[in-house]
Amino acid sequence: MKSLKWRVRLLLAVMGVGLGVCFAGTAKQAFALTADDGITGVSGPNTADIAAKGDPGAEMTGTVNDVTVADSKKGLTLADVANQAGQNKIAINFVWTLIAGFLVMFMQAGFALVETGLIRAKNANHTMMMNFMVYGLGLFAYYVCGFAIQMGGCAPIANLGGAYPLNSEFAVNLFGKPWALFGQKGFFLHGVTYDVGVMVLFLFQMVFMDTTTTIVTGSCAERWKYSAFCVSTIGLGALIYPLFGNWAWGGGWLSQLGANFGLGHGYCDFAGSGVVHAVGGITALAVAMQLGPRIGKFNKDGSPNAIPGHDIVLVLLGCFILAFGWFGFNPGSTLGASGNGCLRIGSIAVNTMLAGCTGSFAALLYMWMRYGKPDASMAGNGLLAGLVAITAPSGFVNTLGASIIGWIAGILVCLSVEFFDRIPKVDDPVGAISVHGINGLWGVLAVGLFADGRSNYGGSWNGVAGGVRGLFYGDAGQLVAQLVGISTLIGVIFALSFLWNWLVDTFVGQRCSAKSELAGLDIPEMGALCYPDFQLKASDYGVPTNNVSSGVLSKKD
Amino acid sequence: MRLFGVLVVLAGWVITVGGLLTTSSTMARAIIACVGIGVSIYGILGVLNKYYLARAVWKK
Repeated sequence: MKSLKWRVRLLLAVMGVGLGVCFAGTAKQAFALTADDGITGVSGPNTADIAAKGDPGAEMTGTVNDVTVADSKKGLTLADVANQAGQNKIAINFVWTLIAGFLVMFMQAGFALVETGLIRAKNANHTMMMNFMVYGLGLFAYYVCGFAIQMGGCAPIANLGGAYPLNSEFAVNLFGKPWALFGQKGFFLHGVTYDVGVMVLFLFQMVFMDTTTTIVTGSCAERWKYSAFCVSTIGLGALIYPLFGNWAWGGGWLSQLGANFGLGHGYCDFAGSGVVHAVGGITALAVAMQLGPRIGKFNKDGSPNAIPGHDIVLVLLGCFILAFGWFGFNPGSTLGASGNGCLRIGSIAVNTMLAGCTGSFAALLYMWMRYGKPDASMAGNGLLAGLVAITAPSGFVNTLGASIIGWIAGILVCLSVEFFDRIPKVDDPVGAISVHGINGLWGVLAVGLFADGRSNYGGSWNGVAGGVRGLFYGDAGQLVAQLVGISTLIGVIFALSFLWNWLVDTFVGQRCSAKSELAGLDIPEMGALCYPDFQLKASDYGVPTNNVSSGVLSKKD
Repeated sequence: MRLFGVLVVLAGWVITVGGLLTTSSTMARAIIACVGIGVSIYGILGVLNKYYLARAVWKK
């Protein structure tokens, strides 16, 4: 009896194992069937029907018929569907990043209008042409070597399909730690970097660099020799900006402070308060100091005079264009709209909007309370200050944090403009040092304070798992990483900018002659007036104005 | 004078990075970074800008 029981148990066990093996084999066969062989039972609308009736209700367009089939003999397979899904994700990210880049490129128009509106009419052509040519000069410098230095070792970037050819970073080992310094792939975008993902990344990064170069033209307006501007801009776009860009965004040593020194997630700068705006503002300070103030800005006792701009309409229109373009700047910095937490673009856009709004509001109130009138140009600068300050934290903070950051930026820009006018006596015609430099640094610091740890872009940032948290949310190490970033901006980037522009001053000469400055730079530097009807102003200062009735200087003049 | 100013500006950064290497205390690193930033700002405003102010166009 006992023997029979055991035999039955043995039989059942053998049957169980057999069934299991059969089930596993069937499952494997089913997976193989759907992956490699045709998918049956799925058919799209008849194309003859569409040809005959059209598709006004959008019910027959965008169906299984539109999925690319690799092998027409096999028909549609699961592999075809999976490949199409992957390509759709990357296509969404490409289109998103490119459109964001186009918006940022349009910000050049905003900068041109703001700066030109804030300077005197006699220099309008000169200022407009500086803003116009930063695009060409900066782009060329960045194409030749800037992009390679900045992003040549940044791969992989999952949202753009990997950008795998950008895989060579120069690093040195010091004190037992790797210090990544610059990229080495992508010079002239040739060779393996002739790659669709790399091209999208280049366009997006290029327009950011262009923003940096255009910041300097504002602070140096009305006295900067045009040839010096050209040489200075090329150096900024080719070397200075890309170096800091690499350290922060290209896998460089600042971004690795978290992995190497345990400082939060390393230096975090979501869209460039530091990389773009502080680098531009700090370079502006270096050049403006060397140029010295405009004639008439300070009295003999050192007290400053206000030199009003000539067109507030241009200024405020430019501010609106910039605020519009900023929706490309910040949300576009996800480098995608699909996957890896990119749907946070909605939150980033709202943060951007809020900080700009509270910045302009705070600046308006400050000026109204202090001087009795709501100042239009400072309201505009307040808007820009809020936008600059939220640029680094926009991807890491909540709406309350964004509002506070913008509010502080609005006050800070007013205080900073007064400070630079009264204490160091650095003449900054458009307030770019305060808007971009000071508030860029404030934005970098704000990440270390307000980042709430709720963002999750693919599970990690700068190689450290989890969301970025600032001091107020429990991570003091993140604040230290941001302080190291600020110290690098003030210590290294200022020094590099100063030395480069010192060289330019030595070999080219930075400042126009006093005669040209008094006459306005349009005729002496550019050979044509922006507003020919104003030519009598130039004649008041003894500058030859014969043959300029058309607004164009003849060779004789 | 200008070269000295640039060296002071750079020295601020060296102090900050030195803090990373010499201590693992977050508080100490934060304080050292602030000192480094202060030194760099002194180099910019206290040395370099002072040099240019002494030669300012409005003083002539």
